Amino acid sequence: MIGQFLFKNRSELPLKEDQANTFLEISIVVSVFLFSITLAAFFVISAMISSWNKSIVDGLSVQIMPSEQVLSADEELLRVGKVIQFFEGFENVEKVIQIKDSQIQKLMRPWLGQNVDLKELPMPKLLDVRLKNGKFFDYDKAAAQLKDVAPYASMDNYAIWLQKLVKSASSLKALSVFVLMLVLITTSFSIMYAVQTSLKIHQNIIEILHIMGATDDYIGKQYAKRIFIVALLASIIGSILSILALLMISYISANLDTGLIASATLTHFHWALLALLPLPTSLFAMLTALISVKRTLGKII
Amino acid sequence: METHKNILTEPIVEMQNVCIRYGDDPEVLSNIQLCLDKGSFHFLTGKSGAGKTSLLSMMYLSLMPSKGTVNVFGSNIGYASRNTMAMLRRKIGVVFQDFRLLEHLSAYDNVAIPLRIRAMNENEIQKRVKELLSWVELDKSMNKLCSTLSGGEKQRVAIARAVINRPEILLADEPTGNVDNDIASKLMKLFVELNKLGTTVVIATHSKDLITEYNYPQIHLENKSLKIIPALRRISR
Ligand SMILES: Nc1ncnc2c1ncn2[C@@H]1O[C@H](COP(=O)(O)OP(=O)(O)OP(=O)(O)O)[C@@H](O)[C@H]1O
Ligand SMILES: [Mg+2]
Repeated sequence: MIGQFLFKNRSELPLKEDQANTFLEISIVVSVFLFSITLAAFFVISAMISSWNKSIVDGLSVQIMPSEQVLSADEELLRVGKVIQFFEGFENVEKVIQIKDSQIQKLMRPWLGQNVDLKELPMPKLLDVRLKNGKFFDYDKAAAQLKDVAPYASMDNYAIWLQKLVKSASSLKALSVFVLMLVLITTSFSIMYAVQTSLKIHQNIIEILHIMGATDDYIGKQYAKRIFIVALLASIIGSILSILALLMISYISANLDTGLIASATLTHFHWALLALLPLPTSLFAMLTALISVKRTLGKII
Repeated sequence: METHKNILTEPIVEMQNVCIRYGDDPEVLSNIQLCLDKGSFHFLTGKSGAGKTSLLSMMYLSLMPSKGTVNVFGSNIGYASRNTMAMLRRKIGVVFQDFRLLEHLSAYDNVAIPLRIRAMNENEIQKRVKELLSWVELDKSMNKLCSTLSGGEKQRVAIARAVINRPEILLADEPTGNVDNDIASKLMKLFVELNKLGTTVVIATHSKDLITEYNYPQIHLENKSLKIIPALRRISR
């Protein structure tokens, strides 16, 4: 008796039998699956970008090749000065240091051996360009401009390459955010659609409840409760499926050994977030239902 | 004299120049003036199609007048917010002509609705609903689905649902049409008792017997207009 009293379904609206429930369940399973996979991709890409960004130091080195003709000291000075001036023109450049010839020679010594007279050899000049923040320096653009100003000078290309990677990964990251938003929007639309359909079906009951003094909130709560249960079950299924798929992907990619990319995997924290996804999903579904019930009812007397 | 009357009685439903029309159909009621005092008891009479149900549905705030103003509990229903309307409706009990029970629920759950809407605790609900259902002789059918009840049983469930909340206004549309005479007079006694406790009652009926037996004033609808027919004799009840 008490059990029946406690666990009896108190909802006046027979929402459990709604046809739209199956539609909603399937759509939430698919949405959560997509969301979870995309979120995992987002985490991995973010981790890769931050690890690449860390390798971009706040500096770059520039090599100035020796001229093929014999130049005077003044001409030589002008040639180097032009490059120094070029880099000093950037806002992000803190200072440009020219590495002394003696130091270059010291660096070269082990490669050339003791017997070579370094003074006789055409030696490149080296510049150490210190940046205020390496992340915000456009290496690619600078390299292109440098080609016009001083074709005989070249920047080290590791940073350029890394920055290109970061750029393309960033656009992938933006794409993943876009997909996440898209999934959220389509999910909320299918919830709104299901709720509106159901409100139409139960219009008669709702009218009776209204006449007896039910607020929109009272009706909204019955929907919120129902949609929460539907969404929780569906999102748990979607979440389990996505985690299985991700485990498979990470197992396969672990065997591939792809250097830079393999270094970025999901942390325990990320796995936990993915596993907890059903909770925010069902809360989100519940809130969407509540809001759309109130909005729809506001339009009918 | 006027002021003296206003001090003693307080209008609970007021209609001024009210017209009702459905869509583009001709008006059902036209230029209605009505003032129901708190604690009054009226029969609502008129031929079928005269507009009794329409007039009642305006009183239970389900139908808006196409012209004119309607005040219920002093609030103009044309300007009341949705929440205000809900709060006003909680003070009104309605017995619909076609019952409008929720057929997929039991008799018990139907009667419990107004109390659940008010978020009353379930123990109190159970006490009140059981008591009332046994008073209308439905204790055996309490847990039956409404779709399986007979016409007379449904009518009693509808009445129980309307009065469970001890409403300030009771609007009943042909409440004794489907029950035998014994039950009909028992139900009428219930309405009279509620009225003695302060509930304003309006009962739409076709029954001449009821009108002569109970001798209350009539709100009579005819030719789109309304007139009050006073009670014929004053007897002590
Ligand atoms: N929802 C509606 N849409 C269109 N016309 C309506 C609607 N409800 C009532 N009417 C019309 O309004 C008129 C009055 O109807 P109403 O139901 O108020 O009469 P009534 O006095 O209650 O009749 P009865 O005694 O048969 O119950 C009728 O002509 C009816 O056709
Ligand atoms: Mg009627």
